[in-house]
Amino acid sequence: MEQIARAAALLGAGICMGIGALGPGVGEGFVAGKACEGIARSPENSTLIMKTMLVGQAVSESTGIYSLVIALLLIFAT
Amino acid sequence: MNFSTDIIHIAAFLGAGLSVSLASVASGIGVGYIAEEASYAVMKQPNAKDQMFKTMLIGQAATGTGGIFSLVIALLLLFGGLDNADGGWFKVTALFSAGIAIGFGSIGPVFGAGYAGGQACKSIGRMPKKSNEIMGNMLIGQALAQTSSIFALVIALLLLYSTPQQANFPGITLGGIITKSLALLGAGLSIGLGTIGPGIGIGNVAGRANDMLGRYPKQRPNIMKTMFLGAAVSESTAIYSLVISLLLLFAVK
Repeated sequence: MEQIARAAALLGAGICMGIGALGPGVGEGFVAGKACEGIARSPENSTLIMKTMLVGQAVSESTGIYSLVIALLLIFAT
Repeated sequence: MNFSTDIIHIAAFLGAGLSVSLASVASGIGVGYIAEEASYAVMKQPNAKDQMFKTMLIGQAATGTGGIFSLVIALLLLFGGLDNADGGWFKVTALFSAGIAIGFGSIGPVFGAGYAGGQACKSIGRMPKKSNEIMGNMLIGQALAQTSSIFALVIALLLLYSTPQQANFPGITLGGIITKSLALLGAGLSIGLGTIGPGIGIGNVAGRANDMLGRYPKQRPNIMKTMFLGAAVSESTAIYSLVISLLLLFAVK
């Protein structure tokens, strides 16, 4: 029974990281796409736009990192 | 349960079907979007039809790469002689998992590359003089988007050729077999689903950059810098998925 639980944890780790990477990937891409647009339209604000883009992407990344942490816990701590 | 090579064949057939069908849905939409934007751009700028045609074909070729990866894996699954009964249940799940990895794994990159190519054609329709710069940027963007499908290809090939044989573990229990098999399935799911988001995201970055190159060509260095930085950050989640897949493949006992 313990080994079945271990097997389910490993499958769960794969599903967790797989689906968990969907949202951050799409979201960060949208942030960067709009940043390209903003920098092209008003280049004088490029540092401000770049800063906002990086902060926004870092926040979007957090859920990806949560998935990574949970996946690593499922692999090594169960 | 008695084991026969038929079970390995069943898994390989299922994997091959899944991989090609999922990838061709995405390829069809991506390649079609480029043709749609190119046709509209030719209508607006009939004088630039030669450049448009060239860009459309090159963009479609780069977009089709994901579909070709899936086709290669499907052909290896069908005719690669991977039906050695020593592989056992490990091989059954590994072959099915390889099909899932490359099938789901090419959806996002192909959508992304298609969007980038379509926006490039639209952009050349707006500014035909800058067609070389726009096409160069389109190819860079599509290459960035396809990176994650290459991750999926690597994992699929590792699942096909570098997974352990069940015959090498003579005293293995049923629980041990299930554990290792589900770890292999998890490796394919992780990289397969994990590349969808980054692929679409990077394609969106490259598409917006191509669009803006046609509107504000003087801002090219700024636009390209932002595109590279944004694409690199979006790629990070695909790399997390790759790490988890490699751990599930090689670090799990």
